Order: sequence, then structure tokens, then C-alpha cells
Amino acid sequence: MVHSRREGSGTCSHRNSVRTPETAHAPLRTHSICMVSDFFYPNMGGVESHIYQLSQCLIERGHKVIIVTHAYRDRKGIRYLTNGLKVYYLPLQVMYNQSTATTLLHSLPLLRYIFVRERVSVVHSHSSFSAMAHDALFHAKTLGLHTVFTDHSLFGFADVSSVLTNKLLTVSLCDTNHIICVSYTSKENTVLRAALDPQIVSVIPNAVDPTDFTPDLQKEKTNKITIVVVSRLVYRKGVDLLGGIIHELCQKYPELHFLIGGEGPKRIILEEVRERYQLHDRVRLLGALEHHQVRDVLVEGEIFLNTSLTEAFCMAIVEAASCGLQVVTTRVGGIPEVLPDNFIILCEPSVRSLCTGLEKAIHQLRAGTLPNPETIHNTVKTFYTWRNVAERTERVYDRVSKETVLPMNERLERLVNHCGGVTGLIFALFVIISFLFLVFLRWTTPDYLIDVAVDASGPNAAWPQHNCRKKPRKKLTMKK
Amino acid sequence: MSPVLQAPESGHYTSMSLGGCAPADPVSDPPRWKKILYKRQPFPDNYVDKSFLEELRKNIYVRRYSYWAVVFESAMVIQQLCSVCSFSVVWWYMDQDLLSPQKLCGVGLAITLLGYLLFDAVDKGSGRKECGRTRWDDLKSSLVFIAFTYGFSPVLKTLTESISTDTIYAMSVLMLIGHLVFFDYGANAAVVSSTMSINMAIFASVCLASRLPRSLHAFTMVTFAIQIFALWPSLQRKLRAYTPGIYICVTFVFALFSVAGLLSISGVGALLFSILLISVAFLCPYCLIRLQLFKDNIHGPWDEAVIKEDLSRFYD
Repeated sequence: MVHSRREGSGTCSHRNSVRTPETAHAPLRTHSICMVSDFFYPNMGGVESHIYQLSQCLIERGHKVIIVTHAYRDRKGIRYLTNGLKVYYLPLQVMYNQSTATTLLHSLPLLRYIFVRERVSVVHSHSSFSAMAHDALFHAKTLGLHTVFTDHSLFGFADVSSVLTNKLLTVSLCDTNHIICVSYTSKENTVLRAALDPQIVSVIPNAVDPTDFTPDLQKEKTNKITIVVVSRLVYRKGVDLLGGIIHELCQKYPELHFLIGGEGPKRIILEEVRERYQLHDRVRLLGALEHHQVRDVLVEGEIFLNTSLTEAFCMAIVEAASCGLQVVTTRVGGIPEVLPDNFIILCEPSVRSLCTGLEKAIHQLRAGTLPNPETIHNTVKTFYTWRNVAERTERVYDRVSKETVLPMNERLERLVNHCGGVTGLIFALFVIISFLFLVFLRWTTPDYLIDVAVDASGPNAAWPQHNCRKKPRKKLTMKK
Repeated sequence: MSPVLQAPESGHYTSMSLGGCAPADPVSDPPRWKKILYKRQPFPDNYVDKSFLEELRKNIYVRRYSYWAVVFESAMVIQQLCSVCSFSVVWWYMDQDLLSPQKLCGVGLAITLLGYLLFDAVDKGSGRKECGRTRWDDLKSSLVFIAFTYGFSPVLKTLTESISTDTIYAMSVLMLIGHLVFFDYGANAAVVSSTMSINMAIFASVCLASRLPRSLHAFTMVTFAIQIFALWPSLQRKLRAYTPGIYICVTFVFALFSVAGLLSISGVGALLFSILLISVAFLCPYCLIRLQLFKDNIHGPWDEAVIKEDLSRFYD
């Protein structure tokens, strides 16, 4: 492993990223990490690619990583991805939006078996929307394992559903060792939602693979200006605003075109606008995009528009900037933290403000004052790299592994003191039940009877070396 | 080996060289933390700056209520409670044959005509000009309504014969409660639906009318329901907007009449009803204002943005 790394044939999916002196060194101690989330490939999205890329870079750094998720139709059992990344697709019932149902107990036998046979030392759960992630945290604490949680999304405080979800998050995170958020805004949000000590919350941003998002240097110069939008077409992404913007700007600028990638329930709005103002030749709706198609769509345009109403980090604007596009976006959530001011035009979430921002970008484009796509790409690619993310996450693991997992009595005390009388007591009861269940499981199948799995990654990896050279990207597109 | 990993303090990250960032100049001031992600900063990942939660805002949408303003607003609820009460009382009198349908019809017609005149007089005809409805339109729709109700009243009479009277009562009570719940008191809430509210009231009146002795009774009852549940609230709204003083007086008189009507049937009922009215009018506003003190609403940059513009012009 060390050898291949030194040669520079990186196993992380971005081969040309900037090397720091630290990355060349193997870490002091290796961890056996189990990533748990309901969201993983073949499902597509930010969380999924985050888990995959992070795991790859951690494997590159010599750690053992396995991923646990739920079965996706015929994709069940154990699968191996690039570089011996082992994925368990568990037969658990999916309830809503790809999230499994939770009873806090039923997944204990399965997860315990996996944690024991893989000799997991750190359980790292992802996404607060994933019930399985919370279940795994809960069981890991019962089993006395170290726990880390990454929160990928923002949540409000105003309505009943968020009050309930935030309460559950409080319960889930009150005895978790460390929490990772993807932006400072997200950290503030999580600290408030789960009533946490901000010292145990780290901010580690997402990253993008800059080799996947390169500008098109052969592009011909034409008079046509194309605004690209790539997002799911749902309310939270501000599709209603987009409809208004298309109408306003298409009237004003006859050479303007819109290219919209993505699918969702709000597509109908865009189709309505297109129909009503006869814009079929100027507004193209591409429908759902595969991950590998995104770059080709992005480079067709000059300006990228993001109309999200809430966003923890927003990978889309980094991807667009990496392709050399001028980004125009709403100023919501963590977006102002993501890119420096000269690459981004921040607007208020209103049609008028966004139109002003877009017009500014159009004028700059016409005047030729926009930075050259290649310059943008070369700057942006240094901002976020998965190797850096992995390195910082590793530091969290190092810190966590030196901490002690709360013993049973302290855990119960923490729950009751931290989560309020009623909720705390209810969940304390669950903790006791799950503990008794664990005692029962240990009695029926003692730990020493569980076979230890052959490591596919990590220091004792049985995986042949030559496989490390495969590009993970190819593997991913194949799967979809 | 990484200097980070060799650092003796395990509790906090002490890395000064995250990625490619240039080390801070030791002579100048210590580097200031910035809320940005794209530049590696010489701070640990779990660093908590003093600006942490600076943008947190509390209770920014809290409204300061004045007690008497809330009492004034509660008049709308009082009116609706009284409408339901008077309706029930009138139905009881009809059911006991203590009130003849002719009399109710006559009084109802007279009051409706008076209300109709008032309706235009209150805003000096400006509302009528705005919606562009002529008197001929009004006459036409009322004639159509009366003709249909009269024609169908024998059907109404026998409509629910196969249903037990208890079921009818239970259903009417449920529908009248539903009417009160869904009524548009001016709140901007998801449960508010004036169509649903009026439909439930009419349904209740049809149910109750079907238990009256003759078909003329049924006709009168349904007409009265329309008057009290559909026409009266729209007049109320106008009174409220243009002559608040008169509106309060009318509410007070209406409430007195309803309680008196109820008193002639049941003393306990009247007592309970007046307690209800008083608590709605005076106690609930007090509670609302007191509870404002406990409001703890947090807002910040993580909140989902709300689209404030009216986007409907693009879509319909």
C-alpha cells in the first residue's frame, strides 16, 4: 500500500489532487471502521458519494473500512467494491424515502454479528435522515464501541415534525463520542438541535473529485449564453423561483438558453412555464442525470444557477465551479462558506434578486471580465479534496479511540439528564431492554463462536495488490 | 510522522498545517478565524470561535398583543358560538311545535332584508361596485335557492327516515363542531376552510330539519341555516371592518339573546354556555398573552428560506 501511494497512483478517485506532506505517511494506528447509512449506492446522492469517497481514501491511508446499508432490491448480501471496500446489504424493511423502519431493537442481532466478525472499533453513521444510522449508533454504544456521526443536512425548529426529529437526534447524539458536520452553519444547527457541547463537533467539509469535473477547453465561442441548473426538482431546491427566473430572463435576453438536469415532482412547473411562453427551443429539460453525465451537462453552459432554499454544503456549486462556470446562487445555509466571493454571486432567495445576479453574470460574460474556466478550475480543485477530508476524519477517529465509551450507568444517567424527563426515561428503558437482549444474544451465540471475517482492506488485507490500481469511477457507473 | 499525530495533547487537535495553508506569521497578530470552508485555517476542526451562534436570532416573529385587541378578535369566535347556539335553540322550539314555521319565516325574511340593506349601507356601496354584482343577480340567486329548497323539502323530510334519531343527533353535533373548527376566523392556518365549514353546517341543518314534523318546517329550518351560517357572517365581516363599535354591540346583544334563548330551555346549559363565552372572550386572550412570555423560537442562517414573492403570476 505504502509503495503504491508513494508512486502517486492514488487509489483515491482523484489522482491529481494536491499532495500534502502528511498524506504520504501512514497513520500511527489503524482503525477498523464501519460506515453505516441507509443511503449508499445504487442510490445516488451527496451522502452516498461522501461515504464511498471517504472510505476509499481511508483504505488508502491503511485503515480497514466496511460499509453497512440496507438491501436495494436484488442487491443484497455482501459485495466488494474497488480496493476491497466491503459492503453489507442487510435485509431490513425500507419504510420511507429509502430509510428503514426502526424499532431500536430488531437490527441488533445482525449488526452485532457484523461488528464482532469484522472486529469493528469505530462505528461511523451518516445522515440524520437514516434510521439505520441511528440504530447502529445505539447498538454500538450498547456493545461498547466508539461512535462518530456525520450530519449532512440542515433542519429547522419551527414545525412539529422538526421538533420530534430534533428530540430523536438529541437522544441519539447525547452519548455519541464525536459529531462531524459539513459546514459551520451545519455545526451551529446540529449543536442547537441536539443540545451538544460544540467542542465535540468538528467541521469537515465535503469534497468533489476535480478530475471528474474539468472544463471543456475545446468549446467554441458562440453568442449563445447557456444557464445550467442541475438539481432535483423539488420545493426545497427552489424550483418555483426557477420558473419565474426563466420567464423574466428569457423575455429580456433572446440569446439566453436554459439547460436543466434533474427530475422531481416540481418538473411540472417548469414544463408549464415552457409551454405557456413558448420556450421549447430555449429551455431544455434533461430529466434525471447519471453521475457521470453531470460534467458533460455542466460544460455546455457558462453560468450555473442554484436556487436552493436550504443547503448544508452544496456540492453542486463546487462541481460547477470546478467545471469553470460562474456560479449564481441563493445565500442560504452553508453556501456563503463554500466558495470565495470572486467565484460566486450570492443573491437573496427571490426571483428579482436572482435575476439581478444572473444579469450581472451575463454582463460580465459579455464584457469578458469573467475569469477563464481553466483558472477557476485550477483554483477550485485545491479547495476540497477527499484526501484532506479523510485525513481530518482520521484525526477524529484517533481522538475518539482514546476516549472511553460511557458505561451503562453513566449512559442511563446522561439520557435522563440530557434528554428531558419523559423522553430520557423512555429511551433509558430501551437501553436496558437492548442490553438485556444483547446478554441473551451473547448467551445463545457467544462472541468466540462468531467467525472472524477475512479482511479485505486495512493492515491485514487479504486483497491482492494489483486491484488497487483500478479506477473506482468506472466501477460506479457500471453499477447504476 | 505527522506532527499532528505526535502531539501530546490528545483532547484537542493542534494541527497548524492543514493541507497547503501557509503557516501564520509569528510576528503579526494571531490569525483571525473566518467562517469559510475553502481555505484551510490554522485552527482545529472542532474549534469554537467566539462568533459561534452569533447569527442566532430569538423570537424575531413574536407579536406583541394588547389585551383588548385580542378580546376584540375573540368576538368572531363568540359570534360563531352564538350562531350555533341560536340555531339549536330555534330547532328545539320548532321540534316542540312551540314556534310556527310561518312566524320564523316571516321574521327571518324581515331580518334578512334589513341585513341586506345594511350590507350595502355600511360601506356605501363600494363593495358592490368592486365585485360587480347587480341586485338582479342577488334576487335571481335567492329565488333559485328558495324554489329549490321549497321543492325539495318533502324529500328532505323523508331523506333520513331509515336512520336512527340518535345517529342524526350525534352527526349534527359532530358537524356543528366541525363547522366551528374549520370556520375562517381570520387565522392563516391549514385547517381553515370556509367551504368545508359552511358545508358541515348545512349538513347538520339538513339532518336536524329531517326530524321536524312537516316539510314546511324542514324548508324553514334549512333557510334559517343559510341565513345564520352563510349570510350573517358576511354581514358581520363588513360591520367589523367599517363600524367596530357597532360590531361589538351587536355581538354583545346577540350573545345575550342566545344565552336567554338557551335559558328558556335549560338553566344549566345557559350557565355553562355563558361560562364558555366569558372564558373565550376574556380568559383565553389573557392566557395567550401570558404564554407569549414562554416563547422560545430560534432562527438562524440554517432556516429554510421562504419565498416571499407572489409567484402565481408566472404560473396561471
